[in-house]
Amino acid sequence: LGAGQSIQKTYDLTRYLEHQLRTLAGTYLNYLGPPFNEPDFNPPRLARAERVPSATVDLDLWRGLTDNARLAANYRAYSRLLCYLRALEGPAGTAELRHRLGHFCSSLQGLVLSIAGVMSSLGYPLPVGGPSAPPGTPVPSNDFLKKMEDFWLLKELQTWLWRSAKDFNRLKKKVPPAVVTLRLEARGF
Amino acid sequence: GLVQSCGHIIPESPVLTLGSSFTALCILNESCLDFGNIYANQIIWKIKNRVVPKEQYREINRTVSSVTFNDTSSLANPLTCNILADGQIEQNIYGITVTVGLPPEKPKNLSCIVRQVSKLAYPMTCTWNPGKPTFLDTHFRLKYRWPQENFPDCIPKDVNNSCMITDVQFFVNLEVWVEAENALGKAESDPLVLDPIEIVKPLSPHNLSVNSEILPTVLKLSWENRISAAVMKLKFNIRYRIMGDTNWMQVPPEDTASPRTSFSVQGLRPYTEYVFSIRCMKEDGVGYWSDWSEEKTGVTTED
Repeated sequence: LGAGQSIQKTYDLTRYLEHQLRTLAGTYLNYLGPPFNEPDFNPPRLARAERVPSATVDLDLWRGLTDNARLAANYRAYSRLLCYLRALEGPAGTAELRHRLGHFCSSLQGLVLSIAGVMSSLGYPLPVGGPSAPPGTPVPSNDFLKKMEDFWLLKELQTWLWRSAKDFNRLKKKVPPAVVTLRLEARGF
Repeated sequence: GLVQSCGHIIPESPVLTLGSSFTALCILNESCLDFGNIYANQIIWKIKNRVVPKEQYREINRTVSSVTFNDTSSLANPLTCNILADGQIEQNIYGITVTVGLPPEKPKNLSCIVRQVSKLAYPMTCTWNPGKPTFLDTHFRLKYRWPQENFPDCIPKDVNNSCMITDVQFFVNLEVWVEAENALGKAESDPLVLDPIEIVKPLSPHNLSVNSEILPTVLKLSWENRISAAVMKLKFNIRYRIMGDTNWMQVPPEDTASPRTSFSVQGLRPYTEYVFSIRCMKEDGVGYWSDWSEEKTGVTTED
């Protein structure tokens, strides 16, 4: 795939994931039950939730990053978010919810691969080391805290996807489909 | 055991390529030689109780006789090694079953389609040409992967030329290929690299309704799309005919080449009943048209 095509596919996939997560999160929060599924539930962010890659960033700072740095940040974030999400897959409610979570995880895995594809098509190195699995902090001490963590995971993921779609949309415009990939230029062709 | 066999044949139960040559050996046990006064040159080979011509035998040594078939197509089961004990009574020493067939050919014409079956379900079915019959138990597997992720193989059920993958991911290129294997060998199709989103056959629009408008030459169609815009944007074909007529007319495709859930068909005859049907596909024309929707009728107002 050329860089332009690769970015377009990654953008489409991000939008598709946003769409999937919108309905999936609603179903999962209903599974968690009140207060998590109440529209106005807006808890403070607990220290524990820090393990989940926070989507809250300084936008100017974020925009000021190079394309390479921003792609790498996206790559690392989704690699870690995927690990957390896979931890949800096991116990989650009905078989149908587990199936949809499984499908979503596969899609997210596809996004990690797609971002890697974009980075290599633009000649950028992949971040070293695989996705760092959640540091071995102990399992939340009670059910409420566990649900709180799940709540924050879904919330952060929605924000990441929302911003990544914008990132890839901007990148898409920088690298129109027809252009020769940077990698060729990098080799002095 | 109680009854000790006086010899055996090697190979034991061979699988052979059709048309190839084949040699079997019958090996007599030393113990039987002394007791039974029997030697390799007394061996009689039979296939399905028909004596094999002596020209095909060769006495390797006192205890071993071989038989050769230039073309395995002439073989039948069982292949037995027998001895004429004391010159009169023919005794069976050993018998084997021979299986004859062909290695699998390279599967060809691999193609796949994603048929939407519900709002969230998009199974992908791949079909291929399995090649000539092999006359052997041949296993086919549909294999698929991303660059760094292998998925579980799809094992066809009761057929050897298609398989359905229930859960595919859109917007990531997938490499798909077929593997065929039997006792005589293995063959792989050429790989197909595709993005499942580009081979979708969506469900047809439904809940089509037809309403008359103020103008007597216009009818307004409304419908529901069954595929989410986040998955794909759609374009449409709308066809219509006068009730009782068999010729369909079609709204110019360029007029319905963008996402929508309604369309006003113009240029109709006043006070006339029309039948409408609609289908959809991916807006950029990549993929497959859905089936035509259920037909719905409407009547234009009087002039």
